[in-house]
Amino acid sequence: MKAIDLIKQIFLLLSAALVLALGVNAVSPRGIPWYGQWDEAQGVVTADQAVLQPTLDFEIPDASTAQRLHASGQVLFIDSRTAADFREGHIPGAVSLPVGEFDRQIEALQTRYDSTHPIVTYCSGRSCQDSHILAQRLFEVGFENVSVFIDGYPGWSGEGYPVETE
Amino acid sequence: MKPNEAFGRLAWIELLLRWSVGLAFVLASLHKVAHPADFAQIVYSYQLFPAYTINLIAIVMPFVELVTGLALLAGVYPRAAASIVNGLLVTFMFIIAVNLMRGHDFDCGCFPTFISRLYTDSPTNMLIRNTILLACSLPVMLYRRRRRGVIFSTAGS
Repeated sequence: MKAIDLIKQIFLLLSAALVLALGVNAVSPRGIPWYGQWDEAQGVVTADQAVLQPTLDFEIPDASTAQRLHASGQVLFIDSRTAADFREGHIPGAVSLPVGEFDRQIEALQTRYDSTHPIVTYCSGRSCQDSHILAQRLFEVGFENVSVFIDGYPGWSGEGYPVETE
Repeated sequence: MKPNEAFGRLAWIELLLRWSVGLAFVLASLHKVAHPADFAQIVYSYQLFPAYTINLIAIVMPFVELVTGLALLAGVYPRAAASIVNGLLVTFMFIIAVNLMRGHDFDCGCFPTFISRLYTDSPTNMLIRNTILLACSLPVMLYRRRRRGVIFSTAGS
């Protein structure tokens, strides 16, 4: 077999993959845009900013603002990371509500807190979207006053603010 | 190769290796094909690619795996498919090695989350798995005799 034939066949297979990939991505409801937001300086990173759009207006962009809200004692902080991460360390007084546990745990939260209670969600910083997804789910079940602390636990502990472990 | 050349004694082994690698690639691609946004996050976590390439890699790469895996299973241009697979495996191993050297932890994105939860794959395990796959797909690429189970091929391919 000549090298040129092999190159042609490789080109054919790769072309088929490319056409299939772009075609499926264009029609799939799970398709993503060709370019995502991958600059942490610009905010939380995501393949598809449209998914986070409803909560982008409710972001708390820095740890000092989050700390002021925390110091007021009026705001419930909700940790959307895994229970294991929560046990290792979390913002003092925060409650754990991993996104994957939302359906199981939301009722308990709704019975304890009024829908107007101010809430701040957080996760592992700008490389994770769980705090945005959690905020969106909270809006959907009726909570009206939800913000997202985008620098999350690393941003909080990195500023030297106190943390709590279990 | 002559058209009526008999199958060599190694033809069954070539078929077994080709199907094994093909199946591994198809299975590894399915979750990524179905969840490109999750895979993009994993590509981002490699911290190796320019930002503008991440989504495109996440869209196209799973289909390269799927198409080459299916080509190996079905026997469509098997030598070309094995060449692509080898190129991908060497690239994956380079990415894993770079991240291993700089102590960067990441998810290989090879398996669905529920499987990943059963065992967290270390970069060393990923390197071992890729080495085994490479050891299977190299002979498929280099095999020159008549192959079994081929539906679309040219002489010697």
